[in-house]
Amino acid sequence: MTEDTNVRPPLIDGNKDFQQVTEDICAPMERRPTNLWWVAILVSSSMLLLGVVAVTYQVATGIGTWGLNNTIGWGFDITNFVFWIGIGHAGTLISAVLFLFRQKWRTSVNRAAEAMTLIAVMCAGLFPIIHMGRAWLVFWFAPYPNFRGPLWVNFRSPLLWDLFAISTYMAISAAFWYIGLIPDMATIRDRATTKYRRMIFGILSFGWDGSQRTWSRYETVYLLLAGLATPLVLSVHTIVSFDFATAVIPGWHTTIFPPYFVTGAIFSGMAMVLTLMIIARSVMGLQDYITTRHLGAMCKIVLTTSMIVGLAYATEFFIAWYSGNPYERFTFINRALGPMGWAFWIMVGCNVLVPQLLWFRAVRSNVAVIFGISIFINIGMWFERFVIITTSLSRDFLPSSWASYVPTSIELATLVGSFGLFFTLFLLFCRLLPVIAIGEVKGAMKR
Amino acid sequence: MTAQNGEGMEKRETNRDSGHRLDQEFGEPVFTELTRRSFLKLTGFGLAASLIPGCSRGPSEKLIPYLDQPEGILAGKATWYATTCGGCNAGCGMLAKNMDGRPIKLEGNPGHPISGGGLCPIGQAMVLPLYDAQRLQTPIIQGEKSDWGKVDREIRDSLAKIKRSGGSVRFLTGSLTSPTEQKTIQEFLSDYPGSRHVCYDPLSQSAILDAHLQTHGVRRFPGYDFGAAEWIVSFDADFLGTWISPVQFTAGYQAGRILESESPRLSQHLQFESRLSLTGSNADQRIAVSPEQINQLITALAARIAAKAGQSVGFSSPSLKPDHKAKIDELADSLWKSRGRSLVVCGLNQFETQVQVNLINHLLGNYEKTLSLLKPSNQCQGNDRDLAFLVDEIEKGKVSALFVLGVNPVYDLPGGEGLAQAIKKIPCTVSFATHLDETARVTRYVCPVHNPLESWRDAEPIAGKLSVTQPTIRPLGKTRAMVVSLTVWMGNKKEEYQVMKDTWRTDFFKRQKTDSTFGRFWDRALHDGWVEIDSPVRASTDFNMKSIQAVPKDPVISADKLSLVLYPKIGMLAGQHAHNPWLHELPDPVSKIVWDNEASLSPETARKFKVEQGDRIEIRQGEKKLVLPVHIQPGQYDGVVAVALGYGRVGTDRFTRVGPQWLESLPTVAVGETVGKNATLFLSLSEGRIGYSGSEVSIRPTGEHGELVTTQIHHSLSVPAGLAMKGMPKRPFVQETTLEEYKKNPESGSHPVHPKHDLWAGSHEYTGHHWGMIIDLAACTGCSACVVACQAENNIPVVGKDEVRLNREMHWMRIDRYYNETSEGTDVVHQPMFCQQCDHAPCETVCPVLATVHSSEGLNQQVYNRCVGTRYCSNNCPYKVRRFNWFDYPREDRLQNMSLNPDVTVRSRGVMEKCTFCVQRIQAAKSESASSGKPLVDGDIQTACQQSCPAGAVFFGDLNDEKGLLAKLKSSPRRYRVLDDLGVEPSVGYLRVVRNRPEPRGVKHHD
Repeated sequence: MTEDTNVRPPLIDGNKDFQQVTEDICAPMERRPTNLWWVAILVSSSMLLLGVVAVTYQVATGIGTWGLNNTIGWGFDITNFVFWIGIGHAGTLISAVLFLFRQKWRTSVNRAAEAMTLIAVMCAGLFPIIHMGRAWLVFWFAPYPNFRGPLWVNFRSPLLWDLFAISTYMAISAAFWYIGLIPDMATIRDRATTKYRRMIFGILSFGWDGSQRTWSRYETVYLLLAGLATPLVLSVHTIVSFDFATAVIPGWHTTIFPPYFVTGAIFSGMAMVLTLMIIARSVMGLQDYITTRHLGAMCKIVLTTSMIVGLAYATEFFIAWYSGNPYERFTFINRALGPMGWAFWIMVGCNVLVPQLLWFRAVRSNVAVIFGISIFINIGMWFERFVIITTSLSRDFLPSSWASYVPTSIELATLVGSFGLFFTLFLLFCRLLPVIAIGEVKGAMKR
Repeated sequence: MTAQNGEGMEKRETNRDSGHRLDQEFGEPVFTELTRRSFLKLTGFGLAASLIPGCSRGPSEKLIPYLDQPEGILAGKATWYATTCGGCNAGCGMLAKNMDGRPIKLEGNPGHPISGGGLCPIGQAMVLPLYDAQRLQTPIIQGEKSDWGKVDREIRDSLAKIKRSGGSVRFLTGSLTSPTEQKTIQEFLSDYPGSRHVCYDPLSQSAILDAHLQTHGVRRFPGYDFGAAEWIVSFDADFLGTWISPVQFTAGYQAGRILESESPRLSQHLQFESRLSLTGSNADQRIAVSPEQINQLITALAARIAAKAGQSVGFSSPSLKPDHKAKIDELADSLWKSRGRSLVVCGLNQFETQVQVNLINHLLGNYEKTLSLLKPSNQCQGNDRDLAFLVDEIEKGKVSALFVLGVNPVYDLPGGEGLAQAIKKIPCTVSFATHLDETARVTRYVCPVHNPLESWRDAEPIAGKLSVTQPTIRPLGKTRAMVVSLTVWMGNKKEEYQVMKDTWRTDFFKRQKTDSTFGRFWDRALHDGWVEIDSPVRASTDFNMKSIQAVPKDPVISADKLSLVLYPKIGMLAGQHAHNPWLHELPDPVSKIVWDNEASLSPETARKFKVEQGDRIEIRQGEKKLVLPVHIQPGQYDGVVAVALGYGRVGTDRFTRVGPQWLESLPTVAVGETVGKNATLFLSLSEGRIGYSGSEVSIRPTGEHGELVTTQIHHSLSVPAGLAMKGMPKRPFVQETTLEEYKKNPESGSHPVHPKHDLWAGSHEYTGHHWGMIIDLAACTGCSACVVACQAENNIPVVGKDEVRLNREMHWMRIDRYYNETSEGTDVVHQPMFCQQCDHAPCETVCPVLATVHSSEGLNQQVYNRCVGTRYCSNNCPYKVRRFNWFDYPREDRLQNMSLNPDVTVRSRGVMEKCTFCVQRIQAAKSESASSGKPLVDGDIQTACQQSCPAGAVFFGDLNDEKGLLAKLKSSPRRYRVLDDLGVEPSVGYLRVVRNRPEPRGVKHHD
C-alpha cells in the first residue's frame, strides 16, 4: 500500500509506530473508566430510563398519550424513525462506499461510524413498533405461516417494504461491523491479562491467527461485503421515502423523494459522525488519530450533500408551481408560510444556510465551529422529517379536517429516551471495543 | 307487535316439551367405553381444552340461554315496536329496535303523519336516557329515598287537607300532546274547586296562540305546511332546526323542493334573522338584521301587502334602510304573486308582531292553504300570561299544592332562585321528574315517571293525528306513570295501559270509520304506531281587522351596547337533554362547537371589542352577569350577541370523567361545575310574555381565555387569492348553482375533471352487488340526525371535550360546514362526509397487515381484529374519514352499555375504524333475501344515516342494479364526486346544491 505521502500530510499525527497505535487504541478499554465517562453514561442512561417510562406508559394507556389526531396520524414517532434511519446511513457509506473508493482517511472513523449505524438503526427500529396502536402484535408484520386461513401480509404496503429493507440493512451492517472487528478482538485477546478476558475475546475473534492466509481471506470477505452493502446505502432510504412518495397526500406524493431522502440521510449521518467523533477524540484522547484533516474531509461531504438537499427543497417548490396542481401549490405555500412555517425555516436555516460556512478552510479546521455546525444540521434534519410528515398532513385536501399538532410530554420524553438509548449504547461501545480499527489504521499509516 | 308489561296481553304457553331429547340432539355418545386410545384422546382433548381458553385475552363469560324460549323472540333477531318520540313535543313516530329484550336503536317510523319517517338528532339519542343510571329509580320525600306506599299516603293526606280547607291546586306542565294525560289531569283537578292546569313552554311561542285568539277568535297554534308554499319567508323562526317540530317541517320543506324530476320545482326561502341559524344556513337568501329591525320589517311588509290588498290598517310603514326597503318591496310583489302559495312565519314571542304576521298570511290568503287553524297543532300550547300569573301566586304564597310535569321552572324561568324559595314554602309540592333536576330538588315529593320507552302514552300533535307510545321494556326502576299516580291519589288505581285504552275506547274509536271493532282499531294503532281520526274543531271566526295594531317601538340599543339573542341549540333545546352525552358531543350544525354554550359575536363586533375566538367575555345587564367564551360567527348581525339556552344544568358534572383519563387530559367539566352556563337569567317574564331577544346588554373582555372546542378549525372553501387557478376561486368539493342556471344547463356549477389515466382499471370486478351512495346536497340541511343515528347504530363512543379539542372525535359520519363570504353576505353549505368506499382505495394498499381490504361488493372493509394500528391508512385517506381508537373509551355510565348494538363489534384501543355503509344491515338483508328467495330491491337495505334523514337526502343502493335508484341518480347531471381528480373512484356521489336565487354570487377572496 503505497501512498503519495510526499504531497499529502500523513493521516495519523504524532509520528507513531505500530506498537504505539495498538497501545493508544487499546488503552481506554484496559484502564478504569474516566470520571467523564461515568458522568456521560449516568446522563444518557437517565435519559434512556425516562424514555422507557414514557414508552411503557404509552403502550399501557394508548397512542392518545401522543399529540396525534384524526388528521395527523404520524408526528414525532415517524419523524424520529426517519431521523434515526438517516443517521444510520453514514456508517455504511464510510465503511463500504469509501472503502471501494479507496479513501484511506475512512480508517480512523469507520469503526465508530459503523457502531453508530447499528445503534441508530436500533433506535429507528423502535419507533415503528411503538407507534403501533397494538404494539404487542408486531409479529403480524412478518409473513409467517399461520393457522388463520389465508391471512398474510400486504406486499403492496411500503411499511412492509420498510421491514425488509431495514432488517436487511441491519443484518449486513452488523456482519460488516463484526467482521471488521475480528482482527482487533484478536489483538485484545493477545493483550489480555485475565483469563476470562482472554476467553471471551478468544471466542469473539473466532480463533484469528494473524497469518497471511487469514488476512487475505479476511480482506476478500471485507471487499465482498462492502460490495453488498453499497446498494443498501441507496435502497434503505429510498424505501423509507416510499412510505411517503407512494401516498396520495400533497407534500408526500413526490417522485423526487428517493434521491432526496438518500442524500438527506448521508447528510445527517455525516453530521452525526462529526458530532460523535469530535466528542470521542477529545474525551478519549484520540486527537492524533482523528485529526482535523479527517474532520475536514467529512466537512466536504457534508457541504456537498447540504447543497443537494437545498436543491431538492427548491425543486419541490418549483414542481409544486410548475405542476399546476392546486393542492400541491397550497401545501408548499402552507409549508413555508402556514402556521407551522417556523419549522420549515429552521430546516432551511440549519440544512442549507449554516453549512455554507464550510466553504472556508478556516471553518473546516476549527473543531469547535464544526461541532456547532454539526449540531445545527442534526436539528435541521430532524425538522426536515417533521416538516415533510406533519405539516403535509396538517393541511391536506378537505379544509374541514385540517388540524394542528402539539407534542405531549410523553412524546418529548420518548424522543429524549431515544437519544438516551443511542448515547448509552455508544458509550458502552467506546468502553468495551476498540473505537478505531487498529488493523486498518495501521494499513493506512506511512510505513 | 307484542307488548311486555301490559295487561290484556295473554300469557302464552311456552313449548315446554317439543319432543326433543338431549340424546337425540347430540347423537351417540362419543366414548362408550374407556380404552387406552380413547383415554389418551380424552386426556389430550382435556389438556388442549384447558389450555386454549388460557390464550384468549378477555375473561370468559357464560352465555345463559332462555330456559323458556318466549314465542316470537329469536336470539339475535330484532323485534320492532312502533312508538312515539318523547324528546320534545313534536311527537315524531319511531320504531324501537329490540334485541334480546332491550331497545337498542330508534328509527323513524316511515309514513308517520307527523315525521314522515325521519328523526332528528334528539330522537336518535333518546335511547340513551333509558339506560341512564342517574335516572330516579324510587320516589323521594324531602330528599330521602322512599317508597310509593309512603308517598301516596302522605300526598293523599295533604290533598284531603287542602280539599277541606279549600286550598288552591296548580298543575304545571309543558305543552301536553297526550289526550289521555290531559283528560286525567282534568279529572284529578275537578275534585279541587278553583284548581288550574297551567301550561308553558320553556321555548315559548305563546304570542302565536295569543295572536290567533285576537285575530281569529281561537287560541290555536296553526298547523304549517311548508311543502305547499312556493314562497317561504321566515323571520327568526328556525323551523328546520329547533322550532316547534323540525322533522315535520324539514320533510314538508323538502316536499316543496324537488329537483330530480321532469319538472323541477324549488320553493323560494328568504330568512331574516339576527344570528345564523340552521334554517338561515339553508335559505336561498338570508338577510342578517337586528331583532328590532325584524319588527320593523314585518310592519313594513304588512303595510305593503295591505296596500296591495286595498285594506287600510292602523299603522304605517316605518322608515327602513334603503336596501331593506328595496327588499321588502320586491318581497311584497313576489308574495302577492304567490297568494295562497306562500307562508310567512315568525319566531319572535311578541304579540303585536305575531298579529301582523297573521295579517300578512290572511291578506295573502294562506290560511287553510299553507297554514291551518282547522288542523291545528298541539305541539305548542304554552300560555305565558297564565305562567306569569302562577309565578306571582307562588311568590305570594297563594298556592297550596303544586304538581310539576315535564318542565323545570326553577331552571327554565328567570329568577329561578327566588321561585325555588317560594316553592319550598308550598305545603304540598310534587315533581314528576325523571332526574333530580333543579325543580325536583325543591319539591317535597318527587314521583319519578317512566322513560318514554317504558310507558304507555298517546299523543295528538296535530289535531286528528294520534300517535302511540308503547313500552319496549319493563321499567328498569320503581318508577310510575303520572296518570297512575293521579288515579291512586283519586282513590281508584288504574294502570296507565288501562287508562289510555279506556280513553281510546270512549273518545277516539267512534271518531274513525276504518275499523269495525275496537280491538282491531287498537291493534292497528299499536302496529302502525299511529291512526288518523276525525277531528271536528270549532271553526275560527273571520279575521278581526280591528285587532291590528302597531308594534310598540323597541328600545334603541346604544352604540357601545349589544342586543342579546337567546336561542336553543339543536340537541339541548331548553336543557331537557343535558344528561345525554351523545347530544353534548354532537357538533352544533353551524358553529361545530361541542360540550359548551358560547357568546357568538360577528367578526366585525369581535374586532370592535378586540376579542378572539375563545376569549372569555362578561355579558352584563344591570346586576345580571354571565361569563362565556366568545365564538366568532360569520353571518351574524353585527350588533348582536347570541347565547344558547339549555346549558348550565345542575348535575352535568357527572361528565367530569367522560372520555379517557391520562396524564395530560383535561376534564370535560370540572367537578362542581356545569356543562356550559345557564343563560336563563337574561330571560324576561314581563307583560305576560317570556322575552328571548332584543334586550340591551354590555360586554367586556375579562382577559381570560377558555378554549372553545370545535370539530372544524377552517371554514372556507375559497383558495387564497394568489393560489387560485383560473376560473377556480373555490375548492370544488361543494358545487352549487342557481335554479335559473340549472334550468338552462343542468350541469351548471360543475367543475371540469381532468382526464385520468387509470393503472388499475378493472382490477375489481363487481359481478354481484356494488354498493354506493348518493347525497343530495340540495336537500341536506345539516341537521345532524345522521351523525347520532350512526353513533347509535355503530356503537361509537363518546370521547369527551378534551379529545374533541385534540381533533379526535369518533363520529364516522361528520357534516362539514363551509362558509362562503359573498358580496351579499355569508353563504353556508353542509356536506355530509364519511367513508367514500373508494374502488381504488388509498387506504387498502398501504396497510401492512391487510386489515383493510376490498370486498367483492365494493365495500372497503375494516377488519378490527387484524388491525395493528399503524394509522397509515388514515394518513393516506384524502377524505380523512377514518377514526382511530386512541384510548379505550368506556362509557361514563356503564348501564348505557345496554344500548350497544350486538351486531357491531365494540372496538378496542389501538385499532382503526370507519363507516362501513352499515355492513351489518347489508348482511342482514342479504341473508333475509337468501332465505326468502326474493331478490334485494332498493329500500331493502337502509343505512342508519339514510333511515334517519328527515330531508331524504341520503340514497343507498346497488350501483350494478341498472333499474335501481342509484343507477338513475348516478346519471343525474347534478352528480359529482368529491376529489374525483385523484382517481380513487369513490362509490359516494353528491348532487350539486341548487339555490333558488336570481344571480350566482361572486366569491370574495380571503384567508
